[in-house]
Amino acid sequence: MKNQQKFRRNMRFSMGFFIVLFVVLIAYMGYSVLKNGAAWYATPYNPRIANARENLHGGTIYDRNGIALAWSDGTTRKYHNVKEIRRACSHVVGDIHGKTVGAETVFAKYLYGLDTNVVTMMEQLLNGEETDGKGQNVTLTIDAKLSEYIYRNMKGRRGSVVVLNYKTGEILASVSILTFDPNTVADDELEDTTLLDRATMGRYAPGSIMKIITASAAVEHDLDLTYTCTGSDVIGGQSVTCTKVHGEQDLNTAFANSCNTYFARLSTELGGSVLKKQAEKFGFNQTFEYSDVTLYRSKFEVSSEQGDVAWAGIGQYNDLVTPMHAALIAATVANDGIMPEPTLLRAVDGTAPFRLKKDSRVLSPDAAARMRDMMAEVVQYGTGTSAAVKGEVVYGKTGTAEYTENGEIKNHSWFVGFMGEEHPYAVAVLFEGAGYGSAHAAPMAAEVFEYLLD
Amino acid sequence: MLKLTKQSAKAILFLQQLFILSAFGLLTIRNGQPDLMAAAMGGAVCLFNLLQYNILRTAFRHLDRFVLLAAQFLWSVGLIVMYRIRPEYAFRQGIFLIVSTFAAVIMMLIIRRSKDFGKWNWVFMALAVMLLGSTLVLSRAIGGAKNWIDIGPFSFQPSEFAKILFIMGSAYFLSTRDKLTSFIPYIAFTGICVLLLVAARELGTGLLLCGTFLVLFFAATGRTLLTMLGVGVFGAGAFASYHLFSHVQTRVNIWRDPWSSYNAEGYQIVQGLMALASGGLFGVGLGKGMPGVIPASHTDYIFSVIGEEFGILFAAIVIIFYLVFIVRGMLIALNAENIYDALLAFGCTCMLSLQGFIIIGGVIKLIPLTGITLPFISYGGSSLLSSMIQLGIIEGVALKNGKREEKELRMMGADVR
Repeated sequence: MKNQQKFRRNMRFSMGFFIVLFVVLIAYMGYSVLKNGAAWYATPYNPRIANARENLHGGTIYDRNGIALAWSDGTTRKYHNVKEIRRACSHVVGDIHGKTVGAETVFAKYLYGLDTNVVTMMEQLLNGEETDGKGQNVTLTIDAKLSEYIYRNMKGRRGSVVVLNYKTGEILASVSILTFDPNTVADDELEDTTLLDRATMGRYAPGSIMKIITASAAVEHDLDLTYTCTGSDVIGGQSVTCTKVHGEQDLNTAFANSCNTYFARLSTELGGSVLKKQAEKFGFNQTFEYSDVTLYRSKFEVSSEQGDVAWAGIGQYNDLVTPMHAALIAATVANDGIMPEPTLLRAVDGTAPFRLKKDSRVLSPDAAARMRDMMAEVVQYGTGTSAAVKGEVVYGKTGTAEYTENGEIKNHSWFVGFMGEEHPYAVAVLFEGAGYGSAHAAPMAAEVFEYLLD
Repeated sequence: MLKLTKQSAKAILFLQQLFILSAFGLLTIRNGQPDLMAAAMGGAVCLFNLLQYNILRTAFRHLDRFVLLAAQFLWSVGLIVMYRIRPEYAFRQGIFLIVSTFAAVIMMLIIRRSKDFGKWNWVFMALAVMLLGSTLVLSRAIGGAKNWIDIGPFSFQPSEFAKILFIMGSAYFLSTRDKLTSFIPYIAFTGICVLLLVAARELGTGLLLCGTFLVLFFAATGRTLLTMLGVGVFGAGAFASYHLFSHVQTRVNIWRDPWSSYNAEGYQIVQGLMALASGGLFGVGLGKGMPGVIPASHTDYIFSVIGEEFGILFAAIVIIFYLVFIVRGMLIALNAENIYDALLAFGCTCMLSLQGFIIIGGVIKLIPLTGITLPFISYGGSSLLSSMIQLGIIEGVALKNGKREEKELRMMGADVR
């Protein structure tokens, strides 16, 4: 007979192994359901939501000022009667046909009362009430009037405008063109990408707004380069050009003038890994785990080629960013270096929802203050003067991001910016292929700022 | 100590019946007008559990109460969920349960008497291979796997019984052999079984057999290096089949990202995850979920229905009951007089717990999904019968242990009873 002692020891070891396996099972189940549950639930393919819509009286979706954006009349869903408001808010509100992911889907568990717990269920049972949940009303952080104003002023230009409160993270407007009418979306013949919410799912080359991140890395590494711009420079075999000859530049002036050659040099001085780390601090290459909005992942890559690092540092190469993320980057600088979690849900039946805010510190308060000075100069005398508003200090950064479409070179027009603490709003504007940031996006931002000041 | 054990067993039994009665009570009133059939079914399940527990406890003084109680809880949960999905499932499963109880008792009696089956083990092994081989020839496919055989009005899943024969063969070989070369027939036997299972596309059972083999081999021989080599061979086999077979590739791909094919291959996983998510911590409540949209919700995917309607806290409790089962089963194995008995109890415990892990892990997307039943809970006659026979083997070894301990105590002059 063999060694029984050893056999017993091995059996005990195996028992430990199985116990660990099952503990892992419980831990993983709890972790993944608590972490991803909301996202798993709120998909357009969830038959529970569709089923509830057919059978239940859904709650009303209000904007932050109590304007009803969507409500149920019997089992038909009604929307605001002004077409521009419907279209301005359609990506945020969503639809009930499972075509887009908006509040109708993300907050379905409130709207259709699918969130009842055991206690209320027992109460309903004991009281003999109808056990089918009645929908709760949902108040969004959206300002419908502001959205309508933005929609009208975008004048059909493709792109997106995002406005958020940089202190609280509340999204006041998130307008995206192309857009749709929720009343007729099921039957309309739609152009391609109509149903794409450009604010959260559209990924664009950031161009010079990326310089905010490159400059902040320089600030944090105490690197104030002085450099003379001659209009072009060759870095790692790749030629980098400016729109004009800027002459001798330091960090502040180069940022205000958006000098490409300066920032290309600065990027290679900082090095690819420092830049990548800085970008990742700002949320690039990361999965955003926000409960109210699903943001597509932004991208920042570098290679071992110096030329690629230079281009990545000025927002080209393989860089990609969503307008919402761009607004969050501006908000971070405004909010003393803390990136707020963007929120869309203000209240359910009048009570603020419980949430663990996922705000994260990105920059030190000192670095953020330095960045604010630089962004103010952009609007004072740099490329962003067209975003200036009378009587108010505006901070910002323009971007003109080159891309090719069908072999033709075009430019996305970008502007991100914010105002001072009395008006804590951050704005991101993007117009697809419109041209210079200073010519299209910055004036649009000025219009938004003016509206917010009134 | 013994008194404490008896007390807590009673408490568990009591709570269990309370749970069953309230669950069926809820099902009785779920449609507005009372469904008396649900009330009757609840009463019947309670009565059956109480009778079974008390009769077995009286007939077999050394019965391990907790193993039985854990299994009772698991099948009661299964019956509740099945009744909720479709009452006929619960009725049929109830009949399977009664039949299986007899099978378990017979197994207990056999194990209590016998030493090992000697030469018969070769017959068992041949029978196992024949059972598995027969599926390839005679089977009809359900859900992509060819694992069902029809005999007259009955249909059964031969692999469920091959599993038990595999454990018996393993126990015999691993307890009687010592030299490495003498394991060759056993290793070949395992290899053939696994290959036949893979050929029949029963990946889950194949995985289960591999896992059980490795654990048993490790425990019995204590050869860590060889076991690691076995894990390596298994890994290489899995890697090779990933590259060779498209259906294995599909499995892995939908595991990594089921959402990209939510309308096709990933449908079941996605529906299962949505069900878990809609349940949240406390569940949507019995009868308020949508198990109808999940394929195989009464068999392989029953765990997601439990998660949806009872919540993941309760689902965690179900897993804890499996843990109770594992720990008690292992203690019985540790207590066994000889290695053969120990390996029988150990083998059955491993097989059942690994089976639970593979399917629950698949449902919650911890590991790639391979379709096997959740022991004791899932609907299915073959599966329940097989699980109950394994329960019978474990309890049989427990009875033997008890008898031996009593004898030892008596020799020491202690007053037993």
